Amino acid sequence: MLLASMKQVVFGYGDVPHLEEANIEIHTGEFVAVTGPNGAAKSTLLKLTLGLLRPWSGEVYLSRKSTGGSKLVVGYVPQQIASFNGGFPSTVLEFVRSGRHAIGSWLRRLKPEDHALTEQALKQVGMWDLRHRRIGELSGGQKQRACIARALVQQPDLLMLDEPATGMDQQSRSSFYAFLNRLVKEHGKTVVMVTHELSEVQPYLDRMISLERKEDGRWRCCTTTSCSGHFMPVG
Amino acid sequence: MEMLHYDFMQRAFYAGGLIAVMASVLGVYLLLRRQALMADMLSHVSLAGVAGGAYLHMNPTLTGFASAIVGAIAVEYVRRSYKTYSEISIAIIMVGGLSSAVVLMSLDTGLSKSFSSYLFGSVVAVTSQELWLMLVTAVIGGLFFILLRRPLYQMAFDEETAKTSGLPVNGLSMAFSILTGMIVASAMPIVGVLLVSSLIVLPASLAIRIASSFAAAIGIAIATGLTGTFTGLTASYMFSTPPGGTIALTLLFLFIAGITIKRVAVQLSKRRQRENRREAAYTQPPQSGAVSTDSLQ
Repeated sequence: MLLASMKQVVFGYGDVPHLEEANIEIHTGEFVAVTGPNGAAKSTLLKLTLGLLRPWSGEVYLSRKSTGGSKLVVGYVPQQIASFNGGFPSTVLEFVRSGRHAIGSWLRRLKPEDHALTEQALKQVGMWDLRHRRIGELSGGQKQRACIARALVQQPDLLMLDEPATGMDQQSRSSFYAFLNRLVKEHGKTVVMVTHELSEVQPYLDRMISLERKEDGRWRCCTTTSCSGHFMPVG
Repeated sequence: MEMLHYDFMQRAFYAGGLIAVMASVLGVYLLLRRQALMADMLSHVSLAGVAGGAYLHMNPTLTGFASAIVGAIAVEYVRRSYKTYSEISIAIIMVGGLSSAVVLMSLDTGLSKSFSSYLFGSVVAVTSQELWLMLVTAVIGGLFFILLRRPLYQMAFDEETAKTSGLPVNGLSMAFSILTGMIVASAMPIVGVLLVSSLIVLPASLAIRIASSFAAAIGIAIATGLTGTFTGLTASYMFSTPPGGTIALTLLFLFIAGITIKRVAVQLSKRRQRENRREAAYTQPPQSGAVSTDSLQ
């Protein structure tokens, strides 16, 4: 099932187009990496897909329904350096639990199931022992894990991660990628991840979306490469 | 408690209590959304409304209230153009509000109250009509903050993630801005235009600095706001000082005292930890597997 797509999308900051000919398709149950050098509009591509940015032209589609017919739940972990509100007076537990707030009605009371999922997500990222710590007191890697737990607690159908392994050591990265792979292969979730560490994650990937620089200096999302070695031009 | 025999002091305490609770909770969200100066800006816009209402022979309280709401809506639209620098939108609307107020105040408005009572606040300035307006604002604000506390938490932390979770962030943000305008316009009679931000910013600043959790931050802000307002009103009555300034000074004192106590507590805790570590190093025998001097020989 097609979850998200872009057709001939053009986007820029200011007056100059930065990203052109963006053509992608994300299907249910895929583990997809978005790659490219620094400044290649990888985060922009994610934000365009999520509807956080409006394209100058072209079409962006994000399904409203999941495979089961229920409302599509999207978990988003933004790039932390830019977005983490370090002075926020909140414990890790409150922060991760807030991921459950958007599930169902805003006015509903949190149930034991919500608390159990919060505990599970915190344990999955190894943050249960730090649950009463103030989020501003966490290290960079721990903040990253807290954000991942907040996305996981939503039990998302589509998980969009922007360089989620920043600040993690090599061993943590390996087990994190293996965990994402289990989400995709065993639970049928869809994962789209911006990353620079291709060598570590490549064994698990279904596809890669690479952003390439054109002769005029602008970026285009021109290829979707199958990780089994096939090359599929999409644009 | 002789002062509470007077009607005007009773009204001041009722109004002060209502506004202290609302302003303190509002302040926590405003500070976390990096809009600390919004209250200051809206109070100036509200003053322009008061002057405009008087000039047009309309009820100045209601026009001040309405103009604060219009200012709040305007700032929300301008903020969307300057997403990263939300303080720019505040500066822009503040210029408009302040300049309009200055020009309108120079005209012969025939206001029953002096402008200084709007600028600095006055206990006797709180009328029954204003008290009712505060009560209505407090009920709306109370429902807003209780029912929407979860979406507001998410929005205050990070609007982008809140949007992707399916929250209608633009609508919620607009409702929040309008409520800010209502609370600021309600607080004006008691603390005045120039000091309204003290009620909003100071309790929240202390709470954000010392609270260990979000729920605690809200509780500390309310307790600080109420303590500062009631102590300030009492001191104002006893020493015949302006209520707005006295409340603001009391809140400032509480803020400095709270920060100082927190620092001392942190230092003491660090010292205790150092001493515990030193004690443990003296009393514990070398652990198995640790390199001893014998193994090096």
